[in-house]
Amino acid sequence: MTDLTVLQVLASGVAVGCVYGLVALSFVLIYKATETVSFMQGELLMLAAFLVLALHEGAGLPLVAAVVLGLAGMAALGAVLERGVLRRAIGQPHLTALLLTFGLGLLLRGAVGSVPAASHSMHRLPLPFAGEVWQFGALVLAAEHVIVVAATAALSLLLTLFFRRTRAGLALRACSENPAVAELMGVSVERMHTLAWALGAALAGIAGLLLAPVTFVHLNMGLIALKAFPAAVLGGMSSLAGAMAGGVFLGVVEALAGLLLPEGSKDVAPYVLLMAALLLFPQGLLSGAGRRR
Amino acid sequence: MIARAGALVLLGAVAVWLLGAEYALAQAAFVLTYAIAGLGLVLVVGQCGQISLGHGAMLALGAYAQALLVARGVPAPLAVGAALALGAVGGACASLPAHRLGGLYFAMSTLAFALIVEEGLVRWETLTQGAGGLAVSPMTLFGWRVDAAWEQALVSAAAFAAAMALSRRCVASRLGRAWRALREDEDAAAACGIDVGAAKSTAFVLGGALSGLAGALYAHWIGFVSPEQFGLMLSFELLMLVFIGGARRLAGALWGALVVVAIPQAISLLSEQLPPGIATAAGLETMLFGAVVVALILLRPGGLSARDPQAKGQK
Repeated sequence: MTDLTVLQVLASGVAVGCVYGLVALSFVLIYKATETVSFMQGELLMLAAFLVLALHEGAGLPLVAAVVLGLAGMAALGAVLERGVLRRAIGQPHLTALLLTFGLGLLLRGAVGSVPAASHSMHRLPLPFAGEVWQFGALVLAAEHVIVVAATAALSLLLTLFFRRTRAGLALRACSENPAVAELMGVSVERMHTLAWALGAALAGIAGLLLAPVTFVHLNMGLIALKAFPAAVLGGMSSLAGAMAGGVFLGVVEALAGLLLPEGSKDVAPYVLLMAALLLFPQGLLSGAGRRR
Repeated sequence: MIARAGALVLLGAVAVWLLGAEYALAQAAFVLTYAIAGLGLVLVVGQCGQISLGHGAMLALGAYAQALLVARGVPAPLAVGAALALGAVGGACASLPAHRLGGLYFAMSTLAFALIVEEGLVRWETLTQGAGGLAVSPMTLFGWRVDAAWEQALVSAAAFAAAMALSRRCVASRLGRAWRALREDEDAAAACGIDVGAAKSTAFVLGGALSGLAGALYAHWIGFVSPEQFGLMLSFELLMLVFIGGARRLAGALWGALVVVAIPQAISLLSEQLPPGIATAAGLETMLFGAVVVALILLRPGGLSARDPQAKGQK
């Protein structure tokens, strides 16, 4: 095993980790703002990939238009679900929201699965860079991995700007810190809940689109969201940056486990790590200065 | 109480008349087996106020213990004891972080535990034959071969009665009061001298043991075990069961089990009536199940058996 192999494995680990991180980010965003534990992020991710695929290949839109329209559709779906259904779970115990989002996830999954074309075969999203290989000196990297990392970095920057510089972003943060005080300051907490769900659904959708060239588009691609929970918990569950870092960390650990440890340990590594982290650092790895929620 | 018992008898009579005695009894055996696992989860969720996302794994441990031991010639009653013990150990492992955490973090640790168990069952092929699964022979209790549907239902009913008696005792004891105290307010419970971590762990150990028992029976009734039967979907079905039954009442487990076993069957009956070819049947069934779950939660946030949707049951 050469250093280059290790570097290439690390690069793919970081890329997959970015997808974990994005899903974890969407989960934490929703959890912080609405106290709702969402078990449907994986289904949203899968739905977004199929939606863009259908818009592009079924309706014949150009790819860029399909992506923009698809993500807008996801955001709208998130908002509609919040207004129509998820709002009722606010103030109820975690269990209610958990079961409600799981049920909604089954609904979405079943809806996509009942389309014969979707459930019977794997699909490719014909993104321009899919399948290409880029060479940096002696290092060969898959183009989709580089794009995933770059897109995630750009998105993180945008989100940081949104949360620090815009009115809506600040209001959303205020609302997740303390809804009662935010309400007193003139923030409409209800609207912020809708915004959080719209953003969360769109973020999961972006994760789905970034994942599409790596794993193909199929009905079970949402299972990747199960890895997002360890990522979110490792990041301390209340920090967006932490969720992202947790995701990348998990991706790298997984890649290294696949390289060094016997077969199968790759799939368990995130959960073993999660158990260990919960036992040793129950407040999350990055929450040294944070407070307990 | 009498009205409810009457309703149950009536329901049973209708089921026998509609479905035939053999089928109804086989279903009754499943309902009772689910109810035993549900009872274990009621202790964890309803009494102790914790969320377990990994109860399917405890069933898996019990079912695999039973299947493997019986296949090696161990008498079934002994194997059931081992299944109980393994389920309890599973509960103890899943609740290891209980001393430090509560709420959502704890739910995540049970989820991680379940996924590790599932992966372990797939990967340890020399023992479990991996994803292919294991065949399980019918149960033999002291020379009595439990094979017919009525015999299975009888054994399940006896096991459920025993589980119910045990749960009732626990709930009425000092331990049960500790559970309810920490469900209402963990800090206050700790201030009253309750060892919060130990109480949570005990709930998980008991819940795990009951689920192990249910898993052992389930393995015999189905005659086949594979890792995918005990995945996340089962854990959520059990949570649904508890939720529908009204998490805080022990008897709710039986009602919840009835609904959870009945819904998929009703849905597959319904989708047979639809004209073929309009949609993929599997997708449609998932969708309908999801719709029923969402509708139930929205309409009766307190569970089906709650008298008033907003009322909180006492026990």
